[in-house]
Parts: sequence; C-alpha cells; structure tokens
Amino acid sequence: MQECQQLGFAGLMLADLELNYSRFTIERSIMNYIKLTESLVSKAKQFGANAAEVYLETGRNLSIQVRDGEVETIEEASSAGVGFRVIVEGKMGFSHCNDLSNNALEDTLKRAIEFAKLTTPDSNNLLPNDKGYTQVDELYDPEIIKIPMDKKIQMAINLEKLAMKDPRITKSSGAGYGEGEGEVFIANSNGLSKNFKSTSCNIGVSVVAEKDEQKNTGDESCSRRYFADLLPLEEIASKAAKKAWELLDPVMIPTQRAAVIFDPDVARSLIGGILGALNGERVTQGASFLKDYLDKPFASPLLTIIDDGTRAKGMGSAPFDGEGVPTRKRVLVEKGVVRGFIYNTIVAHRAGTTSTGNASRGGFTSLPGIGTHNLYIEAGTNTPAEIIKSTDKGLLLKEVTGYGIDPVTGNFSGGATGFWIENGEIKHPVQGVTIAGNALNILNDIDMMGNDLDMNRGMAAPTFRVKEMQIGGM
Amino acid sequence: MTTHYFVRDIPRRKFLEMSLKGGLVLAASSPLMTQFLSSCSTGNSTAPGFAIDQSILNKVIAKALEKGGDFADVYIENRVSRQIVMEESKFKSGLYGISQGAGVRVISGNKTGYAYTEEITEEKLLRAAEVASFVALNARMANPVSISETNRQSFITVQQPLGGIADEKRIDIMKRADQAAMDYDKRIKMALVNYYDEVRGRVIANSEGVYLKDELPMMFFIVQTMSDDGKARHLSRERLSKHMGFEMFDQFTPEMVAKRAAREAIAMLDAQDAPAGMMDVVMQNGWGGVLVHEAVGHPLEADNIAKKIGAFTGKVGQKVASEVFTMVDDGSIPNARGTINFDDEGTQTKRNVLIEKGILKGYMSDILSAKQLSMERTGNGRRESFQYIPIPRMTNTFIANGSSNPADILSSTKKGIYVQSLSGGSVNPVTGVFNFTCREAYLIEKGKKTVPIKGATLIGSCLDVISNVDAVGNDLDFGPGICGKGQNAEVDAGMPTVRIRGINVGGSRA
Repeated sequence: MQECQQLGFAGLMLADLELNYSRFTIERSIMNYIKLTESLVSKAKQFGANAAEVYLETGRNLSIQVRDGEVETIEEASSAGVGFRVIVEGKMGFSHCNDLSNNALEDTLKRAIEFAKLTTPDSNNLLPNDKGYTQVDELYDPEIIKIPMDKKIQMAINLEKLAMKDPRITKSSGAGYGEGEGEVFIANSNGLSKNFKSTSCNIGVSVVAEKDEQKNTGDESCSRRYFADLLPLEEIASKAAKKAWELLDPVMIPTQRAAVIFDPDVARSLIGGILGALNGERVTQGASFLKDYLDKPFASPLLTIIDDGTRAKGMGSAPFDGEGVPTRKRVLVEKGVVRGFIYNTIVAHRAGTTSTGNASRGGFTSLPGIGTHNLYIEAGTNTPAEIIKSTDKGLLLKEVTGYGIDPVTGNFSGGATGFWIENGEIKHPVQGVTIAGNALNILNDIDMMGNDLDMNRGMAAPTFRVKEMQIGGM
Repeated sequence: MTTHYFVRDIPRRKFLEMSLKGGLVLAASSPLMTQFLSSCSTGNSTAPGFAIDQSILNKVIAKALEKGGDFADVYIENRVSRQIVMEESKFKSGLYGISQGAGVRVISGNKTGYAYTEEITEEKLLRAAEVASFVALNARMANPVSISETNRQSFITVQQPLGGIADEKRIDIMKRADQAAMDYDKRIKMALVNYYDEVRGRVIANSEGVYLKDELPMMFFIVQTMSDDGKARHLSRERLSKHMGFEMFDQFTPEMVAKRAAREAIAMLDAQDAPAGMMDVVMQNGWGGVLVHEAVGHPLEADNIAKKIGAFTGKVGQKVASEVFTMVDDGSIPNARGTINFDDEGTQTKRNVLIEKGILKGYMSDILSAKQLSMERTGNGRRESFQYIPIPRMTNTFIANGSSNPADILSSTKKGIYVQSLSGGSVNPVTGVFNFTCREAYLIEKGKKTVPIKGATLIGSCLDVISNVDAVGNDLDFGPGICGKGQNAEVDAGMPTVRIRGINVGGSRA
C-alpha cells in the first residue's frame, strides 16, 4: 500500500523535475548568462565603477528525508542570484539580489556603487586578471537528474532498513538523499569571463542503539560528484550501526597523560585550526599561531599537508576559485615546515605576493574569503592496526567535539569519545572525557602516520598518533 | 538525520557567510513584489507594510491541498540587509542585499512536501503549490478555510526605522567603536567591527484561515579586538543584537561594546593552562545561558520527542532537575533578539515554562510536532528563510532567577572554574551529551576568582548537569547568538549566576 503510493508520487515528481529543467535551459541558456554577466560588467563601469566583478550562480536541489520506512519530507527548488563587487576610486562595495529582471539588477548594481563610497580606499583592492582555466575532470554528472525519483526515495528507505537490521539498533533518526547541481559565471572588468558547472549527491543515515538507560547515535553518510560513485548502501548502513553500538558500556578513565590516536573521522578537528592559521589574511594581521613559521619547522616531519583544487571528481575541486583565479595543487606544509600561506587576490597583493587560487565564496551573497579546495594530510606507512598494536597506553578517538584548534593562539580543547588501549589492544569504550593541548606541541608529537587516507573527503587525513596529550577524566 | 545542534557567538568569517541571506531561483520582475520592495525600502516598523491579493493566496492554498493533505501554508518573505565591515581601523567593505521568495508547504500525516520560488507571481506560487502537493497524493483532504486578516500581539517597537537611517550614521557608530577599542590599551593591536541590520517582511497564510503580515527589523553589532603583548595573543568578542530600530545605540553605546571586548582581550593575555578533569563550575550571568540552550533546550524541542528519540521523551511531569532549577523559553520579551511576535507559521509567541522547580512541564512545538504529540502550539515554529521549512526552535531561552546572591555563590565555592563567558557549544539531542568552549574563564581558589585560564571545553550530559545545579543567583541577564539546527535562527540565551557541581573540564595540565 505504502509502496504504491510512493511509486505514484515519484512518477509525478519526476515529470515535474524534467519540466522544470527544460524550462530552465530554454529560458536562460549558458550563452545568455555569459552575455548577461559581461554586459553587467560594462554597465557597472557606465554607472561609475572603476573596476567591477559580476558573480552569477544558478542551481537546482532536491532533498528527501525518510524515517521508519516512509517519506518524511521532500524539498525541491531551483534558484539563481547575482553578486556585484565594485571598486570606486579604490573603495570596495558589494551587493546581491535574487531577482534577475533588468530593473532589479541595475538597482542592485547601483547600490553596490553607492555603498562603496562609504568604505576606505585601499590600493590592494584589485580584481584578478589571470585568464587561465585549470582542466579539472568529472565535476558534472549528467546522469543524476535522469535517475527516477522513486529510485532515490527507495535508496534512502533501503539504507535505513539495512542500518536497522542489526539487533542492537533500536531506533532510527531517519535517512536522507540529497542532490544539487549548480553553475557559476564570473566576469570582471579585466576581461576575465569564466564558467563551470558541477553536481553533487549524498546519502546518509542516523540510527540509535539503546541498552538499559544508555543511548548512543551513529551517523554515516557519503557524498560524491557522481551518482554511480556512491558507496554500496550495505557499507554505509553497517558503519552507521557500528558507530551507534560500539561505544555502549563505556568505562571512565582517570585524568592522565597518554598517547592519543586520531581516527580519520576526527582528524578534521585538528586540520580546521591549522587551515585557519595558514590563512594569509590572519597571518598578515598577526592573528595566527603560524605567522612566524614560513619555511621553518613547527610540526613533526611526518606531517605534510596538501591542498589540491584540481583532483578529478574531488568534492572541493573547481577549475577556478571564488573570484576566477585558476586552481592548483600546492604543498602547504612539507615534513613539518610551512611552505606557503593561502591567499585571494586582495590579501596576496597586500602581502606582496600573488593569489594562490584560494578565494572561497559562500555563494553569490558574499564577498570572496579565503579557503581551501581538497585539503589533506599525506598518508604515511603504518596500518591503523600497527598503530594500535604499538601503543602501550592510549586513547583511540572516534569523536571529538568543540571548536578544534584556535587559529590565533593554537590552543586546543575538546570533548572526546573512543576506545581505551592497553598493551596494544583495545580494552573498552570511553565516553565523556576531554583532551587538550597546544597545537605546536600536539603537531610536534605526531609519531606515527597511517596509510589509510580516503581522498573522497573534502578535508582528509589518515589515522595518526600523538605521542602524549592531557586527558581529563575522573 | 541526527545533527549536532550548536549555538555560537558567531565567528567573524561565518558571520560574513551567513548574515546576508540570499535566495536562489529563477526570477523575473513581479508585480506582487514591487509593492513589497517599495514598502521595505522606505521602511520599517512592525506595521504591516504591504498587501498581497488574498484571493491569490486562497487559490494557492486550495491548489496545495488539491491532491489531499491535512494542512497547507504559504510563506512570503522579503529581506533587505546592510552589512559594513571595519578591520584595522579601515572600512573594508559594504554589503547590500535583497532577497525575496515564497514557499508552499503541505502536511499530510507525518509527511511534509515543500517547494519554493523566488519569483512571487500567481503562476509561480501555484507551481510551487503543485510540487508540494504531490506528497499528499491519495491522502484524506482537509477543506481549507478562506483566509482573513488575523491579529497578533506585537512585542517589537521601533522609534528610528532602519530604512530612514543614513549610511553615514552607521559608519559613525563603527568609528566610535573602533576608537574606543584602540584607545583602551596599547596592547590592543586590532579591532574588527561588524555592523549588520536587516528588515524581514513576512506574509503568512494557511488553510486554517490565518492571514498575517509584518516586518521585523534586526540589528546586530559585533566588536572583536586582538591583543598582543609579544608573549601571548587573544581575540575577544562582544555582541549586541536586538529586534529594534537604530535607537538601540542610544540605549547601548558602541563605546560600551568596544570597551567590553577590549577588557576581555587584555585580561586573557595572562591566561595560564587550564586544569583537566571533574570540577565545580560557577557560571557568570548572561550568555552562559547557552549552556541550558544546548543541554536542555534542544532536547526539549518537540520534533525529536515526536520521533520518540529525544533525551526527554516521556518525561513530562517527572523530576528531571534540581528543585532550584526553572527554565523558560519566552518569545515575547520586548525587542529581544529571539523575539518574533508570531512564529514563522503564524502562531503567537509566548512565555513557555519548560522546567519548573525541577519538574518537566512541556516541550517547544511547531504545528507538525504539536499535532503529532497532541500538545498545544507554543509559537516555536521558525525558519531561517523561505528556502527552509519551519521546525521547532528556541526564541529567548533562560534559567529563571533564583534566590542566591551571586557573590555568595562564588565565595562558597572552594575550588573550581569561574566561567565569565562561553564561545558557544553543541549537543547531541538524542543522547543529551553536550560541550561548550570557554571564552573567558578563571580559576576559583578558596572562594575567589584568581588567574585567567586558556579556553577550555566543558562537557557533560544534559540530565546530569541540570541535576547538579545547586545554586541559582538573582541576576538574570541575556546574550545574543546564532543557533544552528540545519538552518540558522537568531536567539537570546540567558541565566543568572549559577553553580554546577562536577563538570568535566578539558584542560591541558593535570
């Protein structure tokens, strides 16, 4: 009964999506958007801007949530918007709107020019002129939209069912499937005009394991550029279920110093803060714990960090960054030595260098910031099992909560769950402890680097071990 | 999907990304919206500023329920925002944004269908209604009630509407803050001043006959200062936010905000490593209320309760906290950041007592979860923008005043941590496990605040922490934040000075 209903529902939804999509392509073809952005750049100059950038974004997204075998929500939309960055006598202004009618676009553009007059002139306020375009393969999967809605709904339902199969799992928080596709058009008054399109899709599930008064959740999801690359549902489901039950019956440990092993899932709790400290603007402002470490060692020789915007199918890949500068692959940290900071055009000019292709953009509503593409810690040689085996006494981290490393001071403190290791063997789960230290000490103390790097994450790291950290318990 | 819900006091970068809400969609000029825009640009009070033909809304609601369903609503939004960023005493950028759109929702049993459009024409609204309606295919149908103008009490007053404020006045406020911060101490090396205001116009119409419209002004002012004495650095933050007009700065001066930020930056230069392990914690009044926002508020939102997975499921009427503990969510505090008159589903906001003297009294609901739990609508159905469906959210959430003198709470604590402010935290609403990071904290030795300590994380479980509250002061105060739960909501969190026995502190020394 339920199934029939869903199939009928799905068939109609599919028809609807296709209709939307064809209208979309007819109404505003790619060529039209290229012309539109270029003509708006000219218009900005007519209106009084000395330099201007037009950033136009179009997109479509779908989100399906299911719980207990039934559809809970379906959300669908397509969208477009424009952001204007203008420079008037060295002063920068920005405006955005999601109304693409000529009147609205012109009004919004004039607002940016008016707003620019309020700001302070700065000779670093420049737009990029690098017209290069990095070849990045397989960012757009034309198949996603063709896959019927009922298949996507059924996948989410099946994923939930598979995760619930384990008898230790008692409840579901739901499963979901999502997809999106978007196209970016950038044109500026240096004659730069670029565009690219990309897709993404993801599927995930969250379940609860209960035992007596104990409750624990397990989440797992998978995001890919291509639909066909999504992991088998069984694999995602069993990971989610395992995360929920494996930490039941924890034993509290005393406050002490011991080795701490970071699982790939939690390594990002450290990477985020390092990334913040490598941000060229923070460095220029003196607000980075790595500001004095260019070409100097600050971490263990086992630590090499690379940012790669060019990897085929990479979730963070793109042919150019948020203001049109070609992306590249860069070594940021080499064997514990800072090899370079990351910059957008304006901050690079201020620092006396050139953009590293790291302008990030939170969509058409924001100015370019600074961010990375696919950031990862290079794999080492040890298997995770070897790392555990060689640990006399330590904590294997499965989850870290908190703000991670403070990029300004390097201070690190977080809540932790995982497993206690003694004499090279996992003894029992641990919940409700804390770990803390200073980034420079922690990163210098990395003494084993794993070989289990999964490059499919936007921020990726293998398992690694820190020789000793402060653990807070009873 | 279980997500970790969090509240933060807004890191600068994130603020830049999130503050200017943009919609996405295919749009052309729209006759309905023109009215909307002209009203917003001149601007500004909570008085209804625009009108949309009610017959069109009736048609859209009828279309949404054409295939079946229990309930349908239309939400139309227009947001005009301004943001100015000052760093290192220079005006770095000015951002002006216009975002508009409308969403149509259909609820059928436990299912929700939702579609939105950025183009507010009859044709596009009807299409959105049709897309949303598929979720209710073959379901029983409710007959929509024809909409009519509905009255709700307003808690937001405006003396100086934002639309009438010259940009130079905004600039002047920022200059004053920057000056005050830099003058505070020569070890203040940089100030980051972020000014944001917006006017959000809303139209809400639903199949129960409700038709509401209003405009909500919002002000958000953040000053960060970085101190550096050659040995240590600290980036501090102070925020001010209200749903009110520009008169906010008559009541709370930019100098006051800047000096508070600078004071923290200087005080924390002497911070030492924090100790690790279980200890007693005294939390100063104000934004520390984020602790109960996370640890208790999120688990009391009715969506997870309706799914029977929330940490407080089935506990109404039971003792869940110590008897000195009373907690309230109140969306009707005049001009507060979390106040919204009526929620984004049109339900009047009000004062909801969640826990009274330790006994669990109720949950915070939206229309769907209220129906699922057969409970009242509490006015907590909120949405970040027309791009999101409404879900149960907090407004102004706080621990109610107790009877203890704050000074006595400190002096009767032999040893522990005094938390003056928190950066923010997060919670897993199913397990109730939470964490917070201290922004400014001190050691307590022999009942006195002594040395400042570096930002430590505090962790625990919600049921434990509210049972371990053993002293509540009489000095209730609030602080502003952004709450994230898949979508953002502006909230206030508050509390009087409170002592919690035995929290695990993430320090870097024994």
